[in-house]
Amino acid sequence: MSVIPREEWDKYPDIEITLNVNGKDYKVKVKPYERLLDVLRYKLGFTGVKEGCGRGECGACVVLMDGKLVPSCLVLAVRANGSKVLTVEGLAPEGKLHAIQKALLDTYAVQCGFCFPGVILAIKALLDRNPNPTDEEIKDALSGQLCRCGSYLRFIKAVKLAAQYIREGKEYFDESGARG
Amino acid sequence: MVICIPRFNVYIPKDVSDALNALSQRKDLIPMGGGSDLLVLIRSGIVKADTVLDLWPLRKELAYIKRENGTVRIGALTTVSELCESDLIKDVRYAGLADVCKKFSTPFIRNIATVGGNVGAAHPLSDIALMLLVLNGKVKLLSKNGEREVNIAKFFKGKRRTVRNHDEIIAEVSFTETPPNSSTAFIKFDRRWGHAMGYVLVGAYMQLRDNIIKDVRIAFDSTGNPYPERVWTTEEFLKGKEFSDELIKQALNNVLPKEMKRITDYRASAEYRLDLSKVLLRRALLKIKSRIEGGG
Amino acid sequence: MSELPEYVRIVEEIFDKYKDKEFLYVGKRIQRWDAVEKIKGRVLFTADFAKYYRNAVFVYSVRTKYAHAKIKSIDISEAQRYPGVLRVITAKDIPGVNDVGYVIPDQPLLVSDKARYIGDIVALIVAEDPNVAKEAGELIKVDYEKLPVITDPLQVIDLRTLKEKEHPLIHEERGSDVVAHFKIRKGDVRKAFDEADVVVEGEYSTPFQEHAYMEPEAAIALPEADGGVTIIATTQCPFDVRKAVAKVLGVTQNKVRVIVPAVGGGFGGKEDVANELGAKAALAALMTGRPAVVIHSREESMIGHSKRHPMKAWYRHAAKRDGTLLGVEANIVFDTGAYASLGPFVAWRATVHATGPYRVEAARVDTLSVYTNNVYAGAFRGFGCPQVTFAIESQMDALAEELGMDPVDLRLKNILREGDRTVHGQLLTRDHGVGLEEAILKAVETSRWYEKRKLFSKQVGTLRKGIGIALLWHGNSIGVEGADYSSATLIINRDGSITFRVGLIDMGQGSQWGMVLIASEILGVPPSYFRVEQPDTAATPDSGPTVASRSTVMGGAAVVNAAYKLRQRLNKVASTLLGCDPDDVEIKAPDVYCRSNPEKKVSWSDVVEQSFWLGIPLQEFGYFRAPPAEWDEETGQGAPYITYTFGAIIAEVTVDLETGGVKVDRMVTAYDIGKVINRVGAELHAEGGAIQGLGYALMEEVVHNKDAYVMNANLSTYYIPTIHDVPDEIIPIFVEAKYRRGPFGAKGLGEPSINGIAPAIVNAVSHATGLRFHSIPLTPEKIYMALKKAGKTLF
Ligand SMILES: Cc1cc2nc3c(=O)[nH]c(=O)nc-3n(C[C@H](O)[C@H](O)[C@H](O)COP(=O)(O)OP(=O)(O)OC[C@H]3O[C@@H](n4cnc5c(N)ncnc54)[C@H](O)[C@@H]3O)c2cc1C
Ligand code: FES
Ligand code: FES
Repeated sequence: MSVIPREEWDKYPDIEITLNVNGKDYKVKVKPYERLLDVLRYKLGFTGVKEGCGRGECGACVVLMDGKLVPSCLVLAVRANGSKVLTVEGLAPEGKLHAIQKALLDTYAVQCGFCFPGVILAIKALLDRNPNPTDEEIKDALSGQLCRCGSYLRFIKAVKLAAQYIREGKEYFDESGARG
Repeated sequence: MVICIPRFNVYIPKDVSDALNALSQRKDLIPMGGGSDLLVLIRSGIVKADTVLDLWPLRKELAYIKRENGTVRIGALTTVSELCESDLIKDVRYAGLADVCKKFSTPFIRNIATVGGNVGAAHPLSDIALMLLVLNGKVKLLSKNGEREVNIAKFFKGKRRTVRNHDEIIAEVSFTETPPNSSTAFIKFDRRWGHAMGYVLVGAYMQLRDNIIKDVRIAFDSTGNPYPERVWTTEEFLKGKEFSDELIKQALNNVLPKEMKRITDYRASAEYRLDLSKVLLRRALLKIKSRIEGGG
Repeated sequence: MSELPEYVRIVEEIFDKYKDKEFLYVGKRIQRWDAVEKIKGRVLFTADFAKYYRNAVFVYSVRTKYAHAKIKSIDISEAQRYPGVLRVITAKDIPGVNDVGYVIPDQPLLVSDKARYIGDIVALIVAEDPNVAKEAGELIKVDYEKLPVITDPLQVIDLRTLKEKEHPLIHEERGSDVVAHFKIRKGDVRKAFDEADVVVEGEYSTPFQEHAYMEPEAAIALPEADGGVTIIATTQCPFDVRKAVAKVLGVTQNKVRVIVPAVGGGFGGKEDVANELGAKAALAALMTGRPAVVIHSREESMIGHSKRHPMKAWYRHAAKRDGTLLGVEANIVFDTGAYASLGPFVAWRATVHATGPYRVEAARVDTLSVYTNNVYAGAFRGFGCPQVTFAIESQMDALAEELGMDPVDLRLKNILREGDRTVHGQLLTRDHGVGLEEAILKAVETSRWYEKRKLFSKQVGTLRKGIGIALLWHGNSIGVEGADYSSATLIINRDGSITFRVGLIDMGQGSQWGMVLIASEILGVPPSYFRVEQPDTAATPDSGPTVASRSTVMGGAAVVNAAYKLRQRLNKVASTLLGCDPDDVEIKAPDVYCRSNPEKKVSWSDVVEQSFWLGIPLQEFGYFRAPPAEWDEETGQGAPYITYTFGAIIAEVTVDLETGGVKVDRMVTAYDIGKVINRVGAELHAEGGAIQGLGYALMEEVVHNKDAYVMNANLSTYYIPTIHDVPDEIIPIFVEAKYRRGPFGAKGLGEPSINGIAPAIVNAVSHATGLRFHSIPLTPEKIYMALKKAGKTLF
């Protein structure tokens, strides 16, 4: 590789994109090679989106983009232009917990918590299209969410509990009531 | 921004013709479907990209699953998820594609990975390409100068190398609907049950009439070359004969090993891969038989 | 008794006082303090802080091209000129000492004359854009002279003779590539084997295991006005990072401040590598005067931080016809890779545990730790025990088979019980808490062992079930590895809220929460009154490293001390308010009353306020130090650990005889951990340890090629268990044989939760297939090939 001369320094132009993240519109300048992950984390501050591998192998970075679960580490920011993104921060209103979050608390699933934002969104993607999943369907839906602390068995219980909450019409819970 | 990845530029075309124009003018453009393969290769330094041609805007034209006039056509930019949610895979004849859906990576990769990209990747561990081989699929290539169709069995030239010319894009894959008394199966096996790459992948198609194998097509992730290929001699051996455990054993022990050369690498030995190929092929054929006979 | 230090007496007093009491918080399921924040995605991990620093610089590490090579020169000129590069740092720019070695100073931060493994760093590039830094990295020109590469520890040492072989030295400066050698010499081994009715012998091997914590390493350094630096880092040992960075920078330790935010998993892997990251960030911050960010990519993490030591071992067991163990012999070789890291300590712990939780009258054990050019090995949950436990428990099953005995019966015949002496001659008393037998019996009952063992033996067909057992033990805390102390601070604020500080970190295991529950119980104040402050060398006391399953036991004992003293003072104040004897005071915040007259109440905040006006200090520093361990270097006799955790694991598997595939169906894990403090944490450990152990048993292995490059430095080829791989059920059972000098009788569980998993699974596979296996990971291929050799396959 040779030195890039000064005049070529701008060969990677800034591109302005618009994103709706958790219901709010953002205009942001990105580089062509930038990943949605980096824009969300470092330009917009949504650090609930985690980077565990950068290669689509761990599920820590997943977000819902236009309702679909995608690895934000393998989605270029320019491709996300104009899309609606949901991160864990936007799942429930201020002061509230979503039924999925409540169920994960009720099953005492939290350990280091690094995998949780991804796990939560993967569960959301599942329950959005399948309100009453079987064990096998839960495992399939979470097959890409690596949890090294090993909370997997609790995830399965939590998905069922969350499904039940939602069926009972309890989508949101008070955050304060959930503390130990 | 914080993790160091190689920099590159992106060209975002308006539509198919814009993309083809761009390709005809610039030699350095690398087409990208979902990017699930390409972006990882760029990150690892295996592919050096100056400018990536983002095909995603072409989904307006090239994301579809059509069944008309006895042909199934799948747009190259159809995602694996879209394929898996389609009615196509509910058809027992294409149950092998449903098998793929269960084993193809993870839900979020399926949401970005495209059918065209799976073929374009030209990698041994390409589940959909493998099934297209046994469905006798064709790959439609488009360029500014026109289009051509290539049988997928002639599409791969090497690891990550295909017959696609630089100025062409993969626009569609297609195959002829298979007869009613036929079905397909796909099996992947590895040491991990979830999110597996596969020591061995096998796909098979079989048509049975009165327990006679009217037609059969079988493909493996590799038979010697670093891309998926069919085992023609084994197919020939089985064709026209009555389906029986004995027949299959003969095929596996006497025919298959002659046309399959397996490699040893850090993941598995050649001997194990060959033996596993036999076991999995037998299971695939039994599965197809039971599917044809209504066993699901 | 009177010569016991006060801090031990207090722990014992509390133990006796609470022995038969109902607990309010301890042992109950209580939501951890940070669960809601974590689940809302609000908790910040180290890399997340980068979003706050707009003028940060990024540091990229240029690593060696060859695993073993002399470095003749490093030319940075072109990289230095690359547009956007602010600084290139090489060894000669280091102001202090160029070393980040943990136990021995053998590991340069930046190599200048020799590379010993592919993770060695030749230069750091500092730039505003990390991608620029990476591009510039390719312009660093290094003149290498390649040296022969050693990837197999048996190229260095002969497993049978234990003699160092002729080989190109990796650490010439040490004159030998044997880093450590530990021994046990006990009884008359020759006689034991001469008189034995049966002898079983086997060679065992275990792989490099990768921690694969979900959060890769990261550190951010901020330059301070006085030439010091503040570092945010993901580490298990903030005080060790401080020490290491101060050494590299050549400044005093008080100029380096280390803050540890939420940590996304550690498992032992975030010990020494954090020294490296902290030092890299600190150097860049001080040289540029700007915040400096270091974040390892997953690929970098996998080649650049320590692994679990692979083991090669030769074992021989002698027994009488009735199953009584007569003697054990073992030659154990650990591959510590290019640097010692915690290798010597790992080898020592392995040696201590090398004969298992059994009565052994005659033993000879030699454990050697040797250098190779592989990625260096260090601490990993279990710390040498999972390796030897695999060998021992495989041997025990082989012995049972040889004797025609049931594996459980054979074990029951030989296990350590109260009143027995360990192989080191340590007498196990009631005060230690020895609950192994109870653990075995409970596991056997819950799993329906005898019934299934029989039933599964009669199967036919392709899918075969098997059931297997393994026992384990685990010395608590660090033993002779270092000074074993701990401390914690409790501060009751003016409004009655409580600030809790400890220098032990939470990497997900939740042990800080256990400590809060201890304080809650003693003070009589619910956990919701507490705020856990993250470890910060500027605020939290040095509590030693967060390793060796020591948090609950050691940290907890320090908390007992602090809470005890505060409670005494509070009782006095309350007694004057209420007019009863201090011993009569009951605190159940928000209420405070006398047991003799519960009707009359004052409030917790009244007592706090009153203490303030009376000038009674409401902050307390608790300290605890373990009694010194005893260990004779030549014989391995003494009392190596304060106490032991025990356990019995039973695994049920289904094996596919045609493919060699294994599915673990069910696991029962019974642990004697003394008093259960944090019940949720204990259960999660039992599950998490079982799953990580399952990975170790069946799939995980970092593979080096002959040039010592890692072949699978990512998470699709380095397999860890997914949700599809876990058993349908993991049943945790806890037996409470209490340790008198632990808080309320607690012992540790962090590490032991992985020790016995692999052998239990492998023994179950043996039961299913009728074949014995000697190496993990027990991949489908290994099972299939063994079946094929035995003529048990289809084709
Ligand atoms: C974690 C992970 C797991 C995976 N697991 C599996 C698995 O289980 N099974 C499997 O089969 N694959 C797997 N893959 C590989 C990959 O996801 C698939 O091959 C996928 O189908 C590729 O599609 P894509 O659209 O993302 O391709 P891209 O990455 O966009 O492209 C792949 C290649 O095809 C070319 N290309 C793509 N589209 C076109 C087009 N329309 N015209 C011309 N050229 C084109 C590109 O230039 C590139 O060379 C995995 C990948 C990852 C990261
Ligand atoms: S960071 Fe995107 S999948 Fe791991
Ligand atoms: S809780 Fe730590 S990785 Fe899942």
